[in-house]
Amino acid sequence: MKHYFHLQFLITNRKIKETGINPILAYLLGLVAFIIITAYLFQKTEFAKYIVVLICLGLLSKLSENNRTDFLIATFGDRLKNKIRILENGMVSIPFVTVLIYQNAMLEAALLWVIAIIFAVCAFKTNVNFTLPTPFSKRPFEFLVGFRKTFYLFPMAYLLTVIAIQVGNFNLGIFSMLLIFGTVLSYFAKPEQAYYVWVHAYTPKKFLLYKIATATQYTSILVAPVLVGLLVFYPNEFHIVLLFFLIGLLFVWTIILAKYSAYPNEMSLPEGMLLVFSVYFPPMLLVMIPFFYKKSIHKLKMLLDDQD
Amino acid sequence: MIKINGLHKTYGNNEVLIDINLAFSKGKVYGIVGENGAGKTTLFRCIAGLESYTGTIISDLNPLKNHLGLLLTDPFFFSKMTGKEYIRLLCNARGKTNIRIDEKNIFNLPLDQYASTYSTGMKKKLAITAILLQENAYFIFDEPFNGVDIQSNIILTEIILKLKELNKIVIISSHIFSTLSDTCDEIHLLRKGAQIKSVQKSAFKDLEQEMKAFTIGNSIEKLDLK
Repeated sequence: MKHYFHLQFLITNRKIKETGINPILAYLLGLVAFIIITAYLFQKTEFAKYIVVLICLGLLSKLSENNRTDFLIATFGDRLKNKIRILENGMVSIPFVTVLIYQNAMLEAALLWVIAIIFAVCAFKTNVNFTLPTPFSKRPFEFLVGFRKTFYLFPMAYLLTVIAIQVGNFNLGIFSMLLIFGTVLSYFAKPEQAYYVWVHAYTPKKFLLYKIATATQYTSILVAPVLVGLLVFYPNEFHIVLLFFLIGLLFVWTIILAKYSAYPNEMSLPEGMLLVFSVYFPPMLLVMIPFFYKKSIHKLKMLLDDQD
Repeated sequence: MIKINGLHKTYGNNEVLIDINLAFSKGKVYGIVGENGAGKTTLFRCIAGLESYTGTIISDLNPLKNHLGLLLTDPFFFSKMTGKEYIRLLCNARGKTNIRIDEKNIFNLPLDQYASTYSTGMKKKLAITAILLQENAYFIFDEPFNGVDIQSNIILTEIILKLKELNKIVIISSHIFSTLSDTCDEIHLLRKGAQIKSVQKSAFKDLEQEMKAFTIGNSIEKLDLK
């Protein structure tokens, strides 16, 4: 078991090193970022404790994947697998539980611990072949797969919009829109296998335009209920609603271009930092979009033919 | 037509393909054989343009990659994507948008289920169906018969012969010699990245015997099985 955790530690460090950052520095930065973000969340919304619980559950569910559990049972046997999984889930939940306790959300903290242990010892195998319908099957890929993995966030976001309208909290409405944009951005975080770029009979320019057009259309479908709700119930704030919508779309375009600007590798730290900087200073996007576009074209030329 | 001249491929100091010269004509099926690590998959990836190389690869339809259906040995499938959606993704990529997928499901796959839940053989059949529906002029099948049941192997053999009849170029690698002798017009033997020989259909039996003798040698005796 000790060897297993040592190996996991080594693998994590290798992954961090691949992004070009020292692992110790990454752990420190991660901790600082976690503290700042959670403090910000609790300052901004009363739903922060639920968001913290949900994020933690998302991470725990990643560790509970069937293939992973099967491997652990096959390698270590049932009892040791349970110990490993309880330890893993415990380690992942510690920062989240600590924040909840610090913020006096005792019930949520206790619940999170219990769920973390249930996740660790119970297998959630299902033989139900249920395929979640989506409006994205005409041009299947990022949105289709991403939506099915994050579908539970959308009812939450729409519910937040309804609450925002009911209690007259415009900022909460904007937050629900940003939640959707944030979810969409996560669909473009990882580069796909080269085959799925190569297979396109497009030039790099046409390929990028196809990706951007699809993302614009499909993001608009996901954001539409929030957008319409806010425009109808906050007509005086229409310019702010539209501004956030447009900036959100610009971020979606930017992340697509940033992804392919590093392709076939994952986005590196400098590219990530440029993106984070743009969050604080959105006009930067007007420089970033052409910059990433040029780099993407160059990278895609390796796999796509450049002649029309 | 596809013509390969003086193809070399290296990974660092390791030369994995050495001076490959091959020509593939329309309406013919070609087999590429060799041991594991002989360079078959790398050769296919070079033809597809998935790897950089030195030398030239020319074709009558350009760019070659846009007319090529490539079946990888171990195709990757996204989680949460159904078989039908996978086929649509690959067809969309080639501008084929009006295909009635259900009617063309010749392997009777459960197309509305997530492809990642398919068995190895079903995944291979799905990948084959998708590249067939792309309506390509050239096909590369890397180990198409691996993991596929006997019934589907029979269908696959017939599909390859149909592609030949339709004047396509088909290049196959397989570790099962009989599947190649049933379908190929010519077989090229690779060994340690070099092109050892090319054999016409009439001499397939001799090639099989030669490969058997080379591969087995006296290795079974060495085991001293009791």
